[in-house]
Amino acid sequence: TVRPKNEVEQKQLCAFGEYVAEILPKYIQQVQVTCFNELELLIHPDGIIPVLTFLRDHTNAQFKSLADLTAVDVPSRQYRFEIVYNLLSLRFNSRIRVKTYTDELTPLDSAVSVHKAANWYEREVWDMYGVFFANHPDLRRILTDYGFEGHPFRKDFPLSGYVEVRYDDEVKRVVAEPVELSQEFRKFDLNSPWEAFPAYRPAPETLKIEAGAKKEDAK
Amino acid sequence: QTTGLVGLAVSENPHERLRILYTKILGVLQNIPKDAAYRKYTEQIVNERFSLVQKETDVQKLEDKLNSGHIEEVIVQAENELSLARKMMQWKPWEPLVEEPPADQWKWPI
Repeated sequence: TVRPKNEVEQKQLCAFGEYVAEILPKYIQQVQVTCFNELELLIHPDGIIPVLTFLRDHTNAQFKSLADLTAVDVPSRQYRFEIVYNLLSLRFNSRIRVKTYTDELTPLDSAVSVHKAANWYEREVWDMYGVFFANHPDLRRILTDYGFEGHPFRKDFPLSGYVEVRYDDEVKRVVAEPVELSQEFRKFDLNSPWEAFPAYRPAPETLKIEAGAKKEDAK
Repeated sequence: QTTGLVGLAVSENPHERLRILYTKILGVLQNIPKDAAYRKYTEQIVNERFSLVQKETDVQKLEDKLNSGHIEEVIVQAENELSLARKMMQWKPWEPLVEEPPADQWKWPI
């Protein structure tokens, strides 16, 4: 079954998106509303704390609850990590998504000063992706093992890791050794011969004939 | 007499408190340039609520007219708006865009 389109909610979200973009033009780069009625604000990384405090404190946008804080790794981009904040407004019963970008070395402002809930989420993003948060009260690893090297959720980190094989030795403790698999990793090419999204084809590049070097008149 | 919410005490004389808070907010907003959208919209909201607070003396009817939960919650919201206005004076978000993103940053699917 296909979900019926809720035009009213779509229009309300569009209007609210334009309202926020009008108030904060310094940081908001783009506003989009998905077909499932989800509003997304695309932010410059300098504007994390201003935008989050605005969404939390303003009377027309009381997004007091930080539902989620994650990151997306797209290695082909210049700023490969996309940090996503999901906010929920209890007064108006609506959700909003705020997205920022950063690369591996640039630190981001911590959202802990705005939402206390961001504490462990930012620890998780640091541990799994390597995105550093400035002014975080306690940024350390939260899910990986104590001496673990590497950031597992990055796209260039292999599925079975580098030093994951651990066993009890005659040393009578657990040691870390380079991983040995009995079968090497097989990657299957699961693309279908038909085009997946005909509506999202890239625009065709118009071919131009460039002017060649002009012939000098022989005199 | 209780609000029913943990940590929120019943406020005696909420009209006075709201009057003080709204005048403070309007005072802070005077320092923002007049053409900023934030000043326009926030002044609109604050003036609306201020006029309702001044006209209506009964607390219950005021809560119904404002349609925004208990009066104590409205007071908390006004305090938040005041702190936001003060922070907005420093951040100045009405200026044009800080930096354009790289062209393929927000392209999806890749």
